[in-house]
Amino acid sequence: MKRENIRNFCIIAHIDHGKSTLADRILEKTNAIEARDLKSQMLDDMDIERERGITIKLNAVQITYNYGDEEYYLNLIDTPGHVDFSYEVSRSLAACEGAILVVDATQGVQAQTLANLYLALDNNLTIIPVINKIDLPSANPDKCIEELENIGFDKQEIILTSGKTGEGVEELLKEVIKKIPSPKGDEKAPLKALIFDSKFDTYRGIITSVRVVDGKINVGDEILMMKTSATYEVLGISIDTPYEKKVKSLSPGEVGYIYASIKSIKDIHVGDTITTKKNPADTPLPGYKPMKATVFSGLYPIDPTKFDDLREALEKLQLNDSALSFEPETSAALGFGFRVGFLGMLHMEIIEERVQREFNIDLIATSPSVIYKVLLTSGEEIEVDAPYKMPKNEKIKLTKEPFVKASIFSPSDYIGDIMKLCQDKRGTFINMDYIDTTRVQIDYKLPLSEMVFDFFDRLKSCTKGYASFDYDITGYEESKLVKMDILINGEIVDALSVIVFKDFAYNRGREIVDRLKEVIPRQLFEVPIQASLGNKIISRSTVKALRKDVLAKCYGGDITRKKKLLEKQKEGKKRMKKVGSVELPQEAFLSILSTGDNK
Amino acid sequence: MISSAYIHIPFCNNICSYCDFSKIYYDSTIVNKYLNELKQDIESTYNNELLKTIYIGGGTPSSLNIKELKELFNILSILKKDNDYEYTIECNFDSITKEKLDLFKQVGINRISFGLESINKDNLSFLERSLAITKVKEIIKYCKTIELSNINVDLMYALPNETLNVLEKDIDFIIDLDIPHISTYSLIIEDHTKLSINDTKPIDEELDEKMYKLICDKLTEYNHYEISNFAKKGYESKHNLVYWHNEEYYGFGLSAAGYIENTRYTKTRSITKYLDSNYINSKSIEYLTTKDKIEYEVLLNLRLKEGINLNKFNTKYNNPLSKYYNYNKLIEKGLLIEKDNHLYIPENLWYISNNIIVQLLMEVI
Repeated sequence: MKRENIRNFCIIAHIDHGKSTLADRILEKTNAIEARDLKSQMLDDMDIERERGITIKLNAVQITYNYGDEEYYLNLIDTPGHVDFSYEVSRSLAACEGAILVVDATQGVQAQTLANLYLALDNNLTIIPVINKIDLPSANPDKCIEELENIGFDKQEIILTSGKTGEGVEELLKEVIKKIPSPKGDEKAPLKALIFDSKFDTYRGIITSVRVVDGKINVGDEILMMKTSATYEVLGISIDTPYEKKVKSLSPGEVGYIYASIKSIKDIHVGDTITTKKNPADTPLPGYKPMKATVFSGLYPIDPTKFDDLREALEKLQLNDSALSFEPETSAALGFGFRVGFLGMLHMEIIEERVQREFNIDLIATSPSVIYKVLLTSGEEIEVDAPYKMPKNEKIKLTKEPFVKASIFSPSDYIGDIMKLCQDKRGTFINMDYIDTTRVQIDYKLPLSEMVFDFFDRLKSCTKGYASFDYDITGYEESKLVKMDILINGEIVDALSVIVFKDFAYNRGREIVDRLKEVIPRQLFEVPIQASLGNKIISRSTVKALRKDVLAKCYGGDITRKKKLLEKQKEGKKRMKKVGSVELPQEAFLSILSTGDNK
Repeated sequence: MISSAYIHIPFCNNICSYCDFSKIYYDSTIVNKYLNELKQDIESTYNNELLKTIYIGGGTPSSLNIKELKELFNILSILKKDNDYEYTIECNFDSITKEKLDLFKQVGINRISFGLESINKDNLSFLERSLAITKVKEIIKYCKTIELSNINVDLMYALPNETLNVLEKDIDFIIDLDIPHISTYSLIIEDHTKLSINDTKPIDEELDEKMYKLICDKLTEYNHYEISNFAKKGYESKHNLVYWHNEEYYGFGLSAAGYIENTRYTKTRSITKYLDSNYINSKSIEYLTTKDKIEYEVLLNLRLKEGINLNKFNTKYNNPLSKYYNYNKLIEKGLLIEKDNHLYIPENLWYISNNIIVQLLMEVI
C-alpha cells in the first residue's frame, strides 16, 4: 500500500445531520458492500444505535477507491454527534488528517457543528464542508452556504450531497483525495501506534483499534503498551472493509485492529501508545485528555447475587468507553452496587440500557448527581457526588455547585421560550447574537445540575426541536443547596435522597411524592410517602392499601390463562426491590428524574 | 383417570359487549358442519371412560334449535356416564323454551346454568343483552316443575356507573327466585372485546371491593365455597370442582381447554380451522412437569374455601407441601391458615388472593 494513496478522515456533524447515512452511501459508491448486505447505518453495529438512530461509538472502516489511474485507501471513521459523546469525536480526530464537516440543509449550522469544527481545527485537520440532505423539500442550501461562509469557508469548497439519493457523493470522494493530505510518518523509526478504541471479543480477547504513526507493526511482533508496560505477541491484524480482512502488517498512516489474546482489561488504555519490546519508542504519542465525568448515579442489581456480574459488565463497557468510571458503594436500601460517573444524561441512559440488554442484569439507578463542593465549619472542603455523602447541616459552612456557560442556537422565534426555560433553571443571561436575520445564539450561565437533567428535552420541546446547544463547565460558585430525604412507610430510603436548590425544595418534594404515589403499586397495607428537609416533613402522600387483586371470574376450563396471569404477576414482583416491608418498582427510583414541567 | 368433559358450543344469537369466549353468530349451515366436526373431535380422543361430570358451555348452547340440540345429544350419547353424574348445559333466557327444557330432561341433563347477569336496564344495555323478567320467572318455575331444580345463575357486577343499590336489587331478585347456585363475575375488560375497543375503564377498586362484600353479606344462606361461587348445601358444582381440584378433563369443541395425561391444551379458536378438522392449537400445548402440576394444584386449590387438603396433596405427590413451599412465612403474616390438615386463605383476604398466591409461589424451596 502506497502511503501517498492513504487518506484518513472522519465525518463530524451535529447530531441527526446525517453522518451515518452519508457513510452508508460512501460504502455503497465504493462497492465496499454488496447492495444486498446494505442495511441502514451500516457502521453502527450496536442494536441500540440503529434503534435510536444515533451513533454512540466511533467506527472505523477501510475502503478502496480508484481515482485517476491510482487505487486509494480511504480510512473512514464515523463519529457520534451528541454533546455527551464529544470525547469519542476527539479520539477519532487524533487518528485522522482530515474531516468532512456535515451540515443538514434543513437546519443549518448548529451548536455541535461549531464545537466539532473547533475540535477538528485544534487537531490541525483539513476540513471539507458538506451540506447534506439537499433532497428534502425543506432544504435551504443557500442559507447554509451563507452560514458556512460566516464561519470562514469559501463558497467554492462547499459540496452539496444527499445521503439518501447519493447525489454529490462521488464529488465528495474526489475532494477527499485531492484535499486531505496523505499521512506522514517514518517506517524506519520505532513503532508508535495510537490505541483509539478497544472492545471485547469472546474468542479473541480484547481487540484494539490502532492507527500507526511511525514504524511498522507485524503479526508475531512482541508489543509493549507504553503506559501499562504490558507485553503481548500480536496474533493477528485485520482491517474492516467493513468485512474483516486479515493483513500481515500495518505501516505508518494505516488504521486497523490487532488482537493479541489480551485478557486483562487493565492492560489496555484507549489513548495509550503501542510500541515494540525489541525497539521501543522514546516517548509516547500525546494521547487524549482524560474525560471527567459530570453526572454520577448509583447502579444496583435488582438481584443482589448479580453484583459481580454488574462489575464485569461495567469493566467490559469501560474497555471502549474510557469516560465511564465506577467504584463500589453500599446503600442501606439497595445493598451493594456501584457509583458510576457519566458524561451526561444520554451517556447514562445508554450505559444503563446496555447493561440491561447486553448483560441481562436488571438495574435500579438512583437519582443522578453532579459533584458539589462543601466547605465545612472545620475549614475543610469536601466533594460530594451522592446525596448520602452530604454532611449534616450543622457541619456545613457553605455549599458550591458547578456552573456552565451554555450556548444555545435557535431560530429567533423561540427567544422568549428559551429565556423562560433558562430563568426557570436558575440561569443568568450573558449575551445574545444574531447569526443571521432569523437565527440567534444565546449564552447563559447555568448550574450544571439543572443543565444535565432535563434541560435538553425541555429545550427541544419548547423550540419544536429547532434549538441546539453546547456547554462548557466554567467553575464552582456558592449556592444554597440542601439534601432532601424521601421516607417510605416512615423510613428514609437513602437511594431516593436528592440534593436540591433550597428554594426549589418544596416544589420538588411535592412532585417527587406525587410521582411516587403513582408508580408504587398498592401493597397489603397503606404506605405513607413523605419528603423531608432535616426532621421537617415538607410533603406527604399515601399509597392506599390493596383492595382487589383477584380473578373474580371463572375462566371455564381455561386454567392456563389464569396461571399465565399469575406468572406475569410473579415476574413483575421479582423485578421489585424490597425496601423495608415495601416493594418498590424500578420506576420509583427514576421518579426523581421525571418530575418537572415535561411530565 | 379422566372423569370429566367440557363441550363448547360457540353459537350466539347476540354478542355481548364483555364476552371474550370463542363465539360466532348463529348460522344453521355452520351449526350442521360444526356438529359433524365435534363428533370427530370427541371420537378421536375419548377413551370410553366413565364420566362423572359433563358440561356444555358456550357461546350459547340454547341458541341451537330443537333438531340441532337432538343431534348434539345424539353425538354426546357416546360419552359414558357414571352413576351420580352431573350433566350441565348453559342457557340464555332469550333462547330457552319449555320444549328445549323437556328435551334436556329427557336426555339426562340434571343441571342448568343461566346467564342472567343483571336485571337493571342500564347494566343490560351496557352489556348489550336483553332480558324479560317475566320470562325469567316463568322459565325458573318450569324448571322446578319438571324437577330440573339444580340451577345456577350468573351475576355480573362492578359495571361502569353501577351503584351498590343497583347491585343489591339484582341480588335480591336472584334470592327471591330461590336458586341453589350463584356464580358472580366482577367485570373484567378483556382485550379484543367491544368494551376494550371502546376503551371502557374499570370501576374504582374500593367500590369493587364493597360490591363483593355486599354480595358475601347478602348470600349468607349459601355456602361461599369458592371465591366467586355460592351454593346451597349439596349444590356445589361438581364440574367446577374438577377444575379447582386440578383434576383431568377432556375439552371438546372450538377453543375448549382440556387437561389429559399431564398435558394442558386448548383447541383452536379459529372456526375455519376447526371445520377443517384442525382441532388442536399446537402452540397451546403445555406438557407439565411435577413442579408445574404442583403450581397448578396450589393456585387452583387456594380459590376454594377448603384450600389445599394437605393429606390429599401428600398422597398425590408423594411428598408434603412443605417440601415444595415455605408456606409458614405466609402463615406468620396471617395470609394463610393451616387447620385440620387444610391450608387456606382467610375469607376476608380472598379479594387479594392473587397477591397471596404469588407470594406463596415465590417461597419455593
